[in-house]
Amino acid sequence: MIDKNGQIVRPDFVELSEYAKVFSSLNSEKEALLRDIAKDMAPRLNEVTEHFYEILQSIPQALPYLEGRTDALKKTHLKWMQSLFTGPFDAAYTESMYDVGDVHVKVNLPVEFMSGGITLICNELYRIIHELYQADPKRAADAVSAISSVMGYSLLIMQKSYNASVEEQLDKFLLITGMSRALFDKLASTFKVLL
Amino acid sequence: MREEMLGSILSELNGSSVDIEASAVISTDGLMISAVLPQSLDEDRVGAMSAAMLSLGDRTAQELARGKLEQVLVKGDTGYVLMTYAGSDAVVTVLAKPKAKLGLIFLDVKRAAENIAKVL
Repeated sequence: MIDKNGQIVRPDFVELSEYAKVFSSLNSEKEALLRDIAKDMAPRLNEVTEHFYEILQSIPQALPYLEGRTDALKKTHLKWMQSLFTGPFDAAYTESMYDVGDVHVKVNLPVEFMSGGITLICNELYRIIHELYQADPKRAADAVSAISSVMGYSLLIMQKSYNASVEEQLDKFLLITGMSRALFDKLASTFKVLL
Repeated sequence: MREEMLGSILSELNGSSVDIEASAVISTDGLMISAVLPQSLDEDRVGAMSAAMLSLGDRTAQELARGKLEQVLVKGDTGYVLMTYAGSDAVVTVLAKPKAKLGLIFLDVKRAAENIAKVL
Protein backbone atom coordinates (compact mmCIF):
# COMPACT_ATOMS: atom_id res chain seq x y z
CA MET A 1 0.00 0.00 0.00
CA ILE A 2 1.10 3.58 -0.67
CA ASP A 3 0.13 6.46 1.57
CA LYS A 4 -0.97 9.88 0.27
CA ASN A 5 2.65 11.07 0.27
CA GLY A 6 3.68 8.24 -2.03
CA GLN A 7 5.47 6.28 0.71
CA ILE A 8 5.19 2.49 0.77
CA VAL A 9 3.42 1.27 3.90
CA ARG A 10 4.76 -2.07 5.17
CA PRO A 11 2.29 -4.48 6.75
CA ASP A 12 2.12 -5.23 10.46
CA PHE A 13 4.17 -8.45 10.51
CA VAL A 14 2.90 -9.62 13.90
CA GLU A 15 -0.65 -9.38 12.57
CA LEU A 16 0.33 -11.02 9.28
CA SER A 17 2.02 -13.90 11.16
CA GLU A 18 -1.13 -14.57 13.15
CA TYR A 19 -3.26 -14.35 10.02
CA ALA A 20 -1.04 -16.78 8.11
CA LYS A 21 -0.88 -19.20 11.03
CA VAL A 22 -4.66 -19.47 11.17
CA PHE A 23 -4.81 -20.38 7.49
CA SER A 24 -1.90 -22.78 7.58
CA SER A 25 -2.69 -24.33 11.01
CA LEU A 26 0.92 -23.78 12.00
CA ASN A 27 0.84 -24.16 15.79
CA SER A 28 3.40 -24.69 18.54
CA GLU A 29 3.08 -28.51 18.34
CA LYS A 30 3.88 -28.49 14.65
CA GLU A 31 6.74 -26.04 15.18
CA ALA A 32 8.13 -28.35 17.87
CA LEU A 33 7.82 -31.35 15.57
CA LEU A 34 9.65 -29.50 12.78
CA ARG A 35 12.50 -28.75 15.20
CA ASP A 36 12.45 -32.38 16.31
CA ILE A 37 12.82 -33.82 12.81
CA ALA A 38 15.43 -31.21 11.83
CA LYS A 39 18.31 -33.55 12.70
CA ASP A 40 16.92 -36.22 10.34
CA MET A 41 16.06 -33.76 7.59
CA ALA A 42 19.22 -31.62 7.66
CA PRO A 43 21.43 -34.12 5.76
CA ARG A 44 18.73 -34.50 3.07
CA LEU A 45 17.95 -30.85 2.39
CA ASN A 46 20.72 -30.41 -0.13
CA GLU A 47 19.12 -33.06 -2.34
CA VAL A 48 15.80 -31.19 -2.13
CA THR A 49 17.49 -28.01 -3.31
CA GLU A 50 19.34 -29.86 -6.08
CA HIS A 51 16.15 -31.57 -7.23
CA PHE A 52 14.26 -28.27 -7.16
CA TYR A 53 16.75 -26.50 -9.42
CA GLU A 54 17.03 -29.54 -11.69
CA ILE A 55 13.28 -29.38 -12.31
CA LEU A 56 13.40 -25.60 -12.78
CA GLN A 57 16.12 -26.04 -15.41
CA SER A 58 13.69 -28.17 -17.38
CA ILE A 59 11.04 -25.43 -17.42
CA PRO A 60 11.80 -23.03 -20.33
CA GLN A 61 9.89 -20.15 -18.69
CA ALA A 62 12.14 -20.43 -15.62
CA LEU A 63 15.46 -20.30 -17.46
CA PRO A 64 15.73 -16.48 -17.77
CA TYR A 65 15.52 -16.23 -13.97
CA LEU A 66 18.26 -18.80 -13.42
CA GLU A 67 20.91 -17.85 -15.93
CA GLY A 68 24.23 -17.23 -14.20
CA ARG A 69 22.63 -17.21 -10.77
CA THR A 70 21.88 -20.84 -10.01
CA ASP A 71 24.71 -21.36 -7.52
CA ALA A 72 23.84 -18.26 -5.53
CA LEU A 73 20.14 -19.15 -5.62
CA LYS A 74 20.87 -22.67 -4.42
CA LYS A 75 22.78 -21.34 -1.40
CA THR A 76 19.90 -19.04 -0.44
CA HIS A 77 17.41 -21.83 -1.04
CA LEU A 78 19.26 -24.29 1.16
CA LYS A 79 19.52 -21.72 3.94
CA TRP A 80 15.78 -21.17 3.76
CA MET A 81 15.11 -24.92 3.77
CA GLN A 82 17.16 -25.22 6.96
CA SER A 83 15.18 -22.42 8.56
CA LEU A 84 11.96 -24.34 7.88
CA PHE A 85 13.06 -26.89 10.49
CA THR A 86 14.44 -24.47 13.05
CA GLY A 87 12.03 -21.56 13.15
CA PRO A 88 11.01 -19.51 14.98
CA PHE A 89 8.07 -18.61 12.77
CA ASP A 90 7.61 -15.18 14.24
CA ALA A 91 7.23 -11.66 12.88
CA ALA A 92 10.90 -11.62 11.81
CA TYR A 93 10.46 -14.81 9.76
CA THR A 94 7.25 -13.38 8.27
CA GLU A 95 9.05 -10.17 7.34
CA SER A 96 11.89 -12.10 5.72
CA MET A 97 9.43 -14.19 3.67
CA TYR A 98 7.58 -11.03 2.70
CA ASP A 99 10.86 -9.59 1.44
CA VAL A 100 11.55 -12.80 -0.50
CA GLY A 101 8.16 -12.36 -2.17
CA ASP A 102 9.06 -8.73 -2.82
CA VAL A 103 12.31 -9.73 -4.55
CA HIS A 104 10.32 -12.16 -6.71
CA VAL A 105 7.99 -9.33 -7.67
CA LYS A 106 10.91 -7.04 -8.52
CA VAL A 107 12.42 -9.61 -10.91
CA ASN A 108 8.95 -10.04 -12.46
CA LEU A 109 8.77 -13.70 -11.53
CA PRO A 110 5.37 -15.02 -12.63
CA VAL A 111 3.14 -15.54 -9.60
CA GLU A 112 2.55 -19.23 -10.39
CA PHE A 113 6.28 -19.88 -9.91
CA MET A 114 5.84 -19.53 -6.16
CA SER A 115 2.96 -21.97 -5.75
CA GLY A 116 4.58 -24.23 -8.34
CA GLY A 117 7.90 -24.06 -6.49
CA ILE A 118 6.29 -24.79 -3.14
CA THR A 119 4.53 -27.81 -4.66
CA LEU A 120 7.81 -29.14 -6.04
CA ILE A 121 9.57 -28.72 -2.71
CA CYS A 122 6.69 -30.24 -0.73
CA ASN A 123 6.61 -33.31 -2.98
CA GLU A 124 10.28 -33.88 -2.44
CA LEU A 125 10.11 -33.28 1.32
CA TYR A 126 7.16 -35.66 1.64
CA ARG A 127 9.07 -38.31 -0.30
CA ILE A 128 11.97 -38.00 2.13
CA ILE A 129 9.67 -38.07 5.17
CA HIS A 130 8.03 -41.29 4.02
CA GLU A 131 11.44 -42.76 3.41
CA LEU A 132 12.76 -41.73 6.83
CA TYR A 133 9.72 -42.71 8.85
CA GLN A 134 8.34 -45.66 6.93
CA ALA A 135 8.37 -47.67 10.15
CA ASP A 136 6.37 -45.02 11.98
CA PRO A 137 3.36 -43.97 9.84
CA LYS A 138 1.98 -41.65 12.53
CA ARG A 139 5.22 -39.71 12.79
CA ALA A 140 5.37 -39.54 8.99
CA ALA A 141 1.80 -38.24 8.81
CA ASP A 142 2.46 -35.66 11.54
CA ALA A 143 5.66 -34.55 9.84
CA VAL A 144 3.91 -34.17 6.48
CA SER A 145 1.20 -32.13 8.17
CA ALA A 146 3.79 -29.87 9.87
CA ILE A 147 5.71 -29.38 6.62
CA SER A 148 2.49 -28.65 4.77
CA SER A 149 1.66 -25.99 7.38
CA VAL A 150 5.03 -24.26 7.34
CA MET A 151 5.13 -24.26 3.53
CA GLY A 152 1.56 -22.95 3.32
CA TYR A 153 2.47 -20.29 5.87
CA SER A 154 5.50 -19.22 3.83
CA LEU A 155 3.57 -19.22 0.56
CA LEU A 156 0.74 -17.14 1.94
CA ILE A 157 3.18 -14.47 3.09
CA MET A 158 5.04 -14.39 -0.23
CA GLN A 159 1.76 -14.09 -2.08
CA LYS A 160 0.90 -11.13 0.12
CA SER A 161 3.89 -9.35 -1.43
CA TYR A 162 2.46 -9.94 -4.87
CA ASN A 163 -0.91 -8.57 -3.86
CA ALA A 164 0.76 -5.63 -2.17
CA SER A 165 2.76 -4.98 -5.32
CA VAL A 166 -0.38 -4.88 -7.48
CA GLU A 167 -2.05 -2.64 -4.91
CA GLU A 168 1.01 -0.39 -4.87
CA GLN A 169 0.86 0.00 -8.63
CA LEU A 170 -2.80 0.93 -8.42
CA ASP A 171 -2.20 3.31 -5.51
CA LYS A 172 0.56 4.97 -7.54
CA PHE A 173 -1.75 5.32 -10.54
CA LEU A 174 -4.45 6.87 -8.36
CA LEU A 175 -1.96 9.22 -6.77
CA ILE A 176 -0.61 10.34 -10.16
CA THR A 177 -4.00 10.79 -11.83
CA GLY A 178 -5.73 12.20 -8.77
CA MET A 179 -8.54 9.68 -9.21
CA SER A 180 -10.32 8.30 -6.18
CA ARG A 181 -10.61 4.56 -5.68
CA ALA A 182 -14.36 4.97 -6.11
CA LEU A 183 -13.84 6.60 -9.53
CA PHE A 184 -11.41 3.88 -10.56
CA ASP A 185 -13.95 1.21 -9.54
CA LYS A 186 -16.62 3.09 -11.45
CA LEU A 187 -14.44 3.17 -14.59
CA ALA A 188 -13.61 -0.51 -14.22
CA SER A 189 -17.25 -1.53 -13.78
CA THR A 190 -18.48 0.73 -16.58
CA PHE A 191 -15.96 -0.57 -19.08
CA LYS A 192 -15.74 -4.18 -17.92
CA VAL A 193 -17.45 -5.27 -21.15
CA LEU A 194 -14.38 -4.11 -23.08
CA LEU A 195 -11.88 -5.91 -20.85
CA MET B 1 -36.64 18.93 -5.48
CA ARG B 2 -32.89 19.29 -6.09
CA GLU B 3 -33.15 16.75 -8.88
CA GLU B 4 -35.79 18.85 -10.61
CA MET B 5 -33.73 22.01 -10.13
CA LEU B 6 -30.65 20.36 -11.62
CA GLY B 7 -32.70 18.98 -14.52
CA SER B 8 -34.06 22.43 -15.12
CA ILE B 9 -30.59 24.03 -15.13
CA LEU B 10 -29.34 21.43 -17.61
CA SER B 11 -32.41 21.82 -19.86
CA GLU B 12 -31.89 25.56 -19.84
CA LEU B 13 -28.22 25.07 -20.68
CA ASN B 14 -29.04 22.72 -23.56
CA GLY B 15 -31.60 25.23 -24.82
CA SER B 16 -29.17 28.14 -24.63
CA SER B 17 -27.42 27.08 -27.81
CA VAL B 18 -28.33 24.83 -30.70
CA ASP B 19 -24.73 23.68 -30.63
CA ILE B 20 -25.10 21.99 -27.23
CA GLU B 21 -26.13 18.39 -27.78
CA ALA B 22 -26.05 17.05 -24.23
CA SER B 23 -25.15 17.95 -20.69
CA ALA B 24 -24.80 16.18 -17.37
CA VAL B 25 -23.86 16.73 -13.74
CA ILE B 26 -21.61 14.05 -12.32
CA SER B 27 -20.03 13.46 -8.93
CA THR B 28 -16.22 13.58 -8.87
CA ASP B 29 -16.37 9.80 -8.27
CA GLY B 30 -18.09 9.39 -11.65
CA LEU B 31 -21.66 8.84 -10.46
CA MET B 32 -24.41 10.49 -12.49
CA ILE B 33 -26.33 13.15 -10.59
CA SER B 34 -28.49 14.56 -13.39
CA ALA B 35 -28.35 14.34 -17.15
CA VAL B 36 -30.02 15.54 -20.32
CA LEU B 37 -28.44 13.16 -22.79
CA PRO B 38 -29.54 11.67 -26.10
CA GLN B 39 -30.50 7.98 -25.86
CA SER B 40 -27.44 6.98 -27.86
CA LEU B 41 -25.16 7.97 -24.98
CA ASP B 42 -24.58 5.69 -22.03
CA GLU B 43 -24.95 7.64 -18.76
CA ASP B 44 -22.41 5.50 -16.92
CA ARG B 45 -19.73 5.98 -19.56
CA VAL B 46 -20.30 9.72 -19.76
CA GLY B 47 -20.10 9.89 -15.98
CA ALA B 48 -16.99 7.79 -15.55
CA MET B 49 -15.05 9.36 -18.43
CA SER B 50 -15.95 12.92 -17.43
CA ALA B 51 -14.85 12.48 -13.86
CA ALA B 52 -11.66 10.72 -14.95
CA MET B 53 -10.79 13.45 -17.45
CA LEU B 54 -11.44 16.20 -14.94
CA SER B 55 -9.32 14.42 -12.37
CA LEU B 56 -6.45 14.08 -14.84
CA GLY B 57 -6.90 17.69 -15.90
CA ASP B 58 -6.71 18.75 -12.29
CA ARG B 59 -3.47 16.86 -11.75
CA THR B 60 -2.02 18.07 -15.04
CA ALA B 61 -2.72 21.70 -14.19
CA GLN B 62 -1.18 21.15 -10.77
CA GLU B 63 1.91 19.27 -11.99
CA LEU B 64 2.60 21.67 -14.86
CA ALA B 65 2.07 24.74 -12.67
CA ARG B 66 -1.05 25.97 -14.47
CA GLY B 67 -2.86 26.90 -11.29
CA LYS B 68 -6.37 25.89 -10.30
CA LEU B 69 -8.15 23.95 -13.02
CA GLU B 70 -11.02 25.81 -14.69
CA GLN B 71 -12.07 23.41 -17.41
CA VAL B 72 -11.05 20.51 -19.61
CA LEU B 73 -11.82 20.70 -23.31
CA VAL B 74 -11.63 17.73 -25.64
CA LYS B 75 -11.96 18.39 -29.38
CA GLY B 76 -12.82 15.59 -31.78
CA ASP B 77 -13.70 15.82 -35.46
CA THR B 78 -17.38 15.41 -34.62
CA GLY B 79 -17.52 17.81 -31.71
CA TYR B 80 -16.37 18.95 -28.30
CA VAL B 81 -16.56 17.67 -24.74
CA LEU B 82 -16.27 20.39 -22.13
CA MET B 83 -15.88 19.56 -18.46
CA THR B 84 -16.05 22.13 -15.68
CA TYR B 85 -16.18 21.85 -11.90
CA ALA B 86 -19.57 22.63 -10.38
CA GLY B 87 -18.41 23.19 -6.82
CA SER B 88 -15.76 20.89 -5.40
CA ASP B 89 -17.73 17.64 -5.56
CA ALA B 90 -19.32 17.67 -9.01
CA VAL B 91 -18.52 18.07 -12.68
CA VAL B 92 -20.69 19.54 -15.40
CA THR B 93 -20.06 17.98 -18.78
CA VAL B 94 -21.30 19.41 -22.05
CA LEU B 95 -21.17 17.81 -25.48
CA ALA B 96 -21.19 20.33 -28.33
CA LYS B 97 -21.19 20.29 -32.12
CA PRO B 98 -17.92 20.78 -34.05
CA LYS B 99 -18.87 24.25 -35.30
CA ALA B 100 -20.01 25.44 -31.87
CA LYS B 101 -19.15 28.98 -30.80
CA LEU B 102 -17.03 28.11 -27.82
CA GLY B 103 -16.99 31.57 -26.27
CA LEU B 104 -20.75 31.53 -25.77
CA ILE B 105 -20.73 27.96 -24.57
CA PHE B 106 -17.97 28.70 -22.03
CA LEU B 107 -20.06 31.51 -20.59
CA ASP B 108 -23.26 29.45 -20.46
CA VAL B 109 -21.50 26.48 -18.90
CA LYS B 110 -19.78 28.67 -16.32
CA ARG B 111 -23.11 30.17 -15.34
CA ALA B 112 -24.76 26.77 -15.21
CA ALA B 113 -21.90 25.34 -13.12
CA GLU B 114 -22.29 28.17 -10.57
CA ASN B 115 -26.02 27.50 -10.33
CA ILE B 116 -25.49 23.75 -10.00
CA ALA B 117 -22.93 24.30 -7.23
CA LYS B 118 -25.49 26.39 -5.36
CA VAL B 119 -28.10 23.64 -5.65
CA LEU B 120 -25.69 20.94 -4.55
